[in-house]
Parts: sequence; C-alpha cells; structure tokens
Amino acid sequence: MKEKYKFIIKPILFVAILCMLLIFFSFLFAPKNNIEEAGIHMVNANGILGEREHTIDVLVVGDSESYSAISPMEMWQRYGFTSYVCGTILQPLLLSERFIERTFEAQSPTVVILETNTIFRETTLSQDIESKLESYFSVFQYHNRWKDLSGYDFFREPRYTWTDDSKGYICNAYIKPATAAGYMAYTDKVEKIPETNQAYLKNIIDLCRDNNAELVLLSTPSTVNWNYKRHNAIENFANEYGVKYLDMNLIADEIAIDWSVDTRDAGDHVNYTGSVKVSAYLGQYLKEEYDLPDHREDPAYSSWHDAMEGYIVHVEEEKEARAAARK
Amino acid sequence: MNELIEILEEIQPEVDYETCTDLIDGHYLDSLSILSLVAELEDAFDITIPTVEIIPSNFNSAEKIWSMIVRLQEEE
Amino acid sequence: MSSYCSLAYLGLFLPIVMVLYQLTPQKHRWKALLAASYLFFWTISGKLVMFLIFSTCSIHHFGLWMTLVQEEKKGKLAEAEKSEKKQIKGVYQRKLRGIVTLAVLLHIGVLVVLKYSTFFGTNLNTLLAACKVSFRLPIPSFILPIGISFYTMQAVSYLFDVYRGTIRADRNLGRLALYMSFFPQIMEGPICRYSDTATQLWSCEKISYHNMTMGMQRIAFGLMKKIVIADRLNLFIKNVFTNHASYDGGVIAVAMVCYTCQLYMEFSGTIDVVIGSAEIFGIKMPENFRQPFFSKTISEFWTRWHITLGAWFRDYVFYPLSMSKPLKHMTVSARKHLGNHFGPLVAGSIALFVVWICNGLWHGAGWFYIFFGLYHFGLILLGNMFGPLFKTTAEKLHIDRNKWYYRGIQIIRTAILVNIGELFFRSNGLRVGLTMFKKMVTNFSFASIKSRQILTLGIDKYDVLILAVSILLVFAVSVMRERGIGIRTAIARQNIVVRWAFYYGLILFIVIFGAYGKGYVPIDPIYANF
Repeated sequence: MKEKYKFIIKPILFVAILCMLLIFFSFLFAPKNNIEEAGIHMVNANGILGEREHTIDVLVVGDSESYSAISPMEMWQRYGFTSYVCGTILQPLLLSERFIERTFEAQSPTVVILETNTIFRETTLSQDIESKLESYFSVFQYHNRWKDLSGYDFFREPRYTWTDDSKGYICNAYIKPATAAGYMAYTDKVEKIPETNQAYLKNIIDLCRDNNAELVLLSTPSTVNWNYKRHNAIENFANEYGVKYLDMNLIADEIAIDWSVDTRDAGDHVNYTGSVKVSAYLGQYLKEEYDLPDHREDPAYSSWHDAMEGYIVHVEEEKEARAAARK
Repeated sequence: MNELIEILEEIQPEVDYETCTDLIDGHYLDSLSILSLVAELEDAFDITIPTVEIIPSNFNSAEKIWSMIVRLQEEE
Repeated sequence: MSSYCSLAYLGLFLPIVMVLYQLTPQKHRWKALLAASYLFFWTISGKLVMFLIFSTCSIHHFGLWMTLVQEEKKGKLAEAEKSEKKQIKGVYQRKLRGIVTLAVLLHIGVLVVLKYSTFFGTNLNTLLAACKVSFRLPIPSFILPIGISFYTMQAVSYLFDVYRGTIRADRNLGRLALYMSFFPQIMEGPICRYSDTATQLWSCEKISYHNMTMGMQRIAFGLMKKIVIADRLNLFIKNVFTNHASYDGGVIAVAMVCYTCQLYMEFSGTIDVVIGSAEIFGIKMPENFRQPFFSKTISEFWTRWHITLGAWFRDYVFYPLSMSKPLKHMTVSARKHLGNHFGPLVAGSIALFVVWICNGLWHGAGWFYIFFGLYHFGLILLGNMFGPLFKTTAEKLHIDRNKWYYRGIQIIRTAILVNIGELFFRSNGLRVGLTMFKKMVTNFSFASIKSRQILTLGIDKYDVLILAVSILLVFAVSVMRERGIGIRTAIARQNIVVRWAFYYGLILFIVIFGAYGKGYVPIDPIYANF
C-alpha cells in the first residue's frame, strides 16, 4: 500500500499540480494579440486568428513553398472564395497538423490543402516532443516573453484583432532563373516517407474527415525540392488513403511556369509572377472540384475588398523595391 | 614512525601529520610530492613500493603510510 | 537522442527504461539495462556498435587470460624452492606484461586509428612536403563511434587493474558489457573503474523512492546549468569567437570568461544529469567535478575538474611511468644533486610531459589541443619550481598563507590561468588563439561595444540579469558543497509543501528562463565529441 502511494499516487499528484502551474503560466505568457508587438510568433500564419469565425473556405498549410506559391487574394479576385495560408518557414508536418487542428476550432473550411514538401522533412524525436508540449502548454513556446511581461498579461484574455491583407501569402518579386530541364524525369523509384510523418499524415487525414473537410495534397512547382521519386511516394500514399493529389510539377507547362522568370532562388521557390500563375490554376481547380461559393457580392465579406486594396499596394511596393534594387 | 614523520615534514612542512587524515584528498600532497616521498621511503625502509600501492587510501595519513610500510616489509 | 539534456532522453527514453526496469524481476534486470544501453548506443552510432562489442569481448578474453597466467604462477610458486621463486616470478611477470601490453595496444590502437589518422596523416604529408618528397600518404577519415574516447579508457583501466591484481578478472561477460556500455555514462563519462560500478550495476536493486527523487533533483539542477546558463551564453560566445577581429580586448576577455563558464556549466551540468540518472537506478558513480574554481593551484584544479580523466592519467600513465626503473634511478640520483624538492621534479616532469601530451590529444586531434595540454604542463611545472620561492618570500614578508586574502589571490590567479587555457581551447586554431590573446593583453578596452548595437552581441540586459541570478545560485550551491553541506538532504528534511514548492520552482525556472525555442541555438554537447 505504501509502495503504491509512493510510486503511483504521489507522482500523479505531483504531475497534476505541475500541469496546473503550466496552464497558469501558459495563460500568463500567451501573447494577448496576434501582432508582432504582442510577441506572437509566425505572424503571417497567425493572421488567421483575426479572421471572423467560419469565413474561410480553404485552408493551406505547408512550409515556405506554400506561402511563396499560393496567394489567396489572387484566387479571391478571380473566383470569390476565401482562403488562408498558414505556412511557416521549414514547417514540420506536426506543426501543419497543429495549424489544421487549431483552425478547425474557429473555422470550417471546405478544403484543406497540404503542401507536400513538408512531408519529406524529418524531425527528431526531441522536436516532436517539444512540439507536442507546445501544443498543450504554450508556455513552452512563449516562455521568452518574461522579458516583456506586464501587469496586463495577468488579467486579459487574448483578443486577436489583426488580419493579414495577403492572407498568409508572402510576396517576393526577385528573379533568379533556374535551369529546369528534366527535373521531373520519369522513374518508377519511390522515395521513402519518414515513418513518423506517415503517422502525422494519417492523423491529418482523420482530422479532416472528422471536420468534414476535403484534404488535398499539393506539390507546388519547385525544381530543387521536387522529383519523380517524391511524386511517386505521395501518389502511392494518396491512392492508399483515398485523398486527392495534385502535382503541379507535372503540369508546369499547362500552368505556364517559365523557370527563367518565375522563380526567386533558382527553382527552390516560385516568385510573385510564378505565384500568380499557380494561384490562377489552383483557384480554377478548387472552384471546379469543390463548387466553392462566391462571396464577392456578399456584404458580410466586404473586409476582403479592403484587403484586396492593401494587397495590391503591397505587391506594387515589392515590385518597385525589386526594380529599384536592380538599377 | 618518527622517521616517517620526519620524512614527511621535510617534503611538506605545513601539515600536522599526527592528526591529518586527508593528505591526498585535501591536496596537501600532490603527485610530485608523492614521487619524493616514495623515493625517500624506499631508501629509508629498504622496500619497493609498486605502482599498485599508490592509491589515496594508502597515503591519506601518516598512520596509513606506516601500515603500508610495515606490510611491504613483511612481504619482502 | 543526441544529448542527455534532450527531451527524447529525459522525456521518453529514461522514463521508459525506469518503468521496464522496475517491472522486470531482479534476476533479469541487468538484461533490461544492457538492452537499453545498446539501444541508446545504436540510435546514435548504429552499426558502429561493433566497436563496443569488440572492446568488451576483448577485455573479457584478455582478463581471463591474465587470470589463468596468474593462477599458474601461484601454483608454480607454491611448489617451488625458495631459491627458484624469484626466477619464476620474473618469468610470469614478463608473460603478464606481454599480455597486458598486447591488449592495451589493441585498444589504444583502434582509438588512434579512428581518431587520429587524419591528423597524423595530414601532418606527415606536410612534413613530406617540407622535405621536398613528392610522395603523399592517402588520408583516411573515419566516423567515430560515440563515446569511444571514454569507453576505451574504461577498458584500459580494467586491463591494468586485472594485471596489477587490484581486481579479479570477470568471467561474466554480461557484467563487463554493462560496465562498458551503461547508457548514462557512455557518451560523456565519468570514466568509471571496474571497482566503482560493475558490482553496483550487476546488483540491480529495485528503484527506491528516495533514490528516484534524489536522482531527479540532480538531473533538474544539471538541466538548469545547461539550459539556462550554458545555452544562453552560446550566441554571445559564438559571435565574439567567430568575429573576434571586430571586437577589442575587453570584449574578448569577457567572452573568454563566458566560455569557461559555459564549458563548466555544460559539462558539469550534463554530468549532473548522468550521475542523477544513474542514481535513480541506485548506482553511485564517481564525481567528475568538485568546485574546480575554488582551486588554489593548477595541479589542484585538475584534481577537481574532470576528475576521472585526471585520475586515469595519474594512475595509468603518471605513476607507472615515473616509477619505472629508469625514471626511478633518475629520481634517486637527482635528489642527491638537486635536493629533495627539485630532485623528483626531473623524473616527475618527464612523466608529466607525457601525461599532458596525452591529455591534450585525448581532447582532440589538433595542434591547439596539444598546445592546451602543454600549457597546463608548463603551469604545473612552473608552480612546482617556484613553489619554494613563493613560500620563502611569503615568510619573509610575514604573510600568513592561510589567510583568506592570500587564498583568494591564489584562487583568482588559478582561475585566470585556466581561463586563458580555455581561450586557446575554444579558438579553433593556435594562430587565432594567439591573435585573440595578444589583443586581450595589448588592447584591453570596450570601445567596440559602444560603436555597435548591443543587440548584435547576441545578449541583452535581461539575459545578463538571469545569467547573474542563476550563476549566483550555482555559486551558492558550490559554497555549500565545499563546506560539506548536502543541499538535497537539507531539502529532504523539510515538509512536503516546502519540498514540492522547491521542486516546482526549479522546474518552472528551467521552463521559463531556459534558452530554448525561437531565437536560441542550443550548443551541441561539447564533451561528447572527444
């Protein structure tokens, strides 16, 4: 009995109190708004927190490929459905899962798009555990805010007020051409998807099913990151689990990607002009496949027209800055 | 025993060898002092001290050193 | 599982091993520990585990061989006439010496080939080029199995101990394998002797609640040192050491002190995690640090810093060498001419020289590591040569050498000398080290900080504050330890509320003030690469 108390009851009690403390500190350290000044990380991706509930039709997650290639405002302008890119640099798959999970709390997207490059990014066991801890106790993510904590943080619930005019897309108009010849040469070899990532993928599939969202695996054009071995791996996986897979690298001609002008870093990522082409194609594809609504005439979505203006200004500024730099 | 204390005092005079029990662990004798000590002891008591015997527990006090000397003399 | 401070080790591996260990019946627990140890090794070094298995099997074999010879010798001696005894002893002694030499050379040989062939090859080629010989050696390079520098030392100490008769060779391969591979210590030491841990490891006592809490406290304290202090200093140190050209001497001096501090916190912190992990399983490992910065001399420093390494070199290199026949003769004759103090110094310094060359090389295959070793050799030698001079000067000036200020000066002097050594240790190249050292001495100012943004240093005022608090904390614990007060037993005497408040405080301190996550780059375990 004494043994039981010492080895079971006491440790459980200890951990329970520890969890309570961690929850308190997570509340304390949580950024109280989704703007950089409030200390939030991944500002662009977290702009979705400021979007009105249940207004996003399409959620995109992925690494830098996703926010470089997919511009929600381009799709809005052409087809009138709303989308948001929760893409972050070097995003590991388990973070993609966290973004999807969290988005389902406030949004009910019809389609969830996962950019496939992240599927081949291996994470260490320690990173996985850290990410899990962060998802339960945000103090692990925001602990460094002790440096600028104020009395305010003790009382206020977080209120997210900011939305991103580009909806998570990050515009880059720099041009550094790529030689793309033959990067998608056919092979029947298959690259291995890391075991842990297979598990995360299955979780994501279940998560989307439970929330009535269609999952689409999407490979955006990249001569550096993509090849036929990876294509085969994703295609096999998609077939096995019955999810859609769209590989833009195979239809780059149809999308009209010109690797001499449409990339910012020699084929690694597409640039602004490339993203316009990708988004145009993707918008049409989604519209046709999923019959997404057109909100452009809906007064409830008037803020998207304001965002459009902001987006255009932003893109123009970026283009001018690059043009100026070239001179 | 008195002869031993004399030898010790010649090597490191700042210790009270009657009472000190951590000559090695308290850093009163460093490895070079041990070399002097061993050479001196071998000379004075006509013994050979093998490397195996040079461990802190044999050298931490005058008494310990003495009992090692006696033991080695018997073994000869 | 690249480090003992990683979540994978602390959050997953260790707890699972603990549970499995506790659930296994005592008779089979050693298997659980051994399996865990090999799994640990495998996840880091994969197939290179072959080297560990080879080492283990070979010391098992050589140990038994030596026992066989020793028993034969005993038998022969019992039968022999008194007059023959000396001769028989001699014959067997030579035989035993042959076996142990073969065995030790085998182990050191594997280590040297794997670790040093690139270094020696490159230097030989430079030499060949200098001699205008057109022939060049092909330079091989190998991937090192993790912890090879540590477990090789353990293997060699086992062989020597059996040879000397301080321990009996172990017939039980499982126990030896566990002694060689025990997972908490395989990567960064402490370098244990067979007599330290083998029996404890084999006994596999049930985890007691007391041991578990004690071990966990030690782990938490070690994590604090590593994650709050060492990792927080990382950006600043990296910055100054890579861009040393753009900083003045003052900043370099600060970075030097910070690096020494980081090295201590990182290494001793990891060792706390290691010893704490072992303590959970009821295994008491030898300490590797005893408040090194309270040392009054360099030679004392080396009995307090990385203790098990220093002790290894002392027992298996220094004494055997300085007690060998030629050096012993040298001591005897030198004493006649030079007196009692300087006499042994001649032979002693030859042995010391060898020790410090080996010590430098053990840390890595590079000239600046050899320089690092020789630097400490020089300091110890100087200390011994001028020791009597200081003593008589102090006596003449009527300075009491036991007064706190005299000891204080000694401690500070020793710390400064150690710091300078670590500057070369970190600087990744003798020339860079010398440049930085020169700048520190000739241009001791802080002007470059003013002209730059303080941000670019990689450290802000909050970081400095939290560093100060945590270093004070470690200092306070060190003072208590120095005075023989065990902080953990003091805590254990408190009631549960105070105790738990203390634990939660420590955990939250690490969680909140740890330098991990966005904006921080943790250091790789420094000593695991040796």
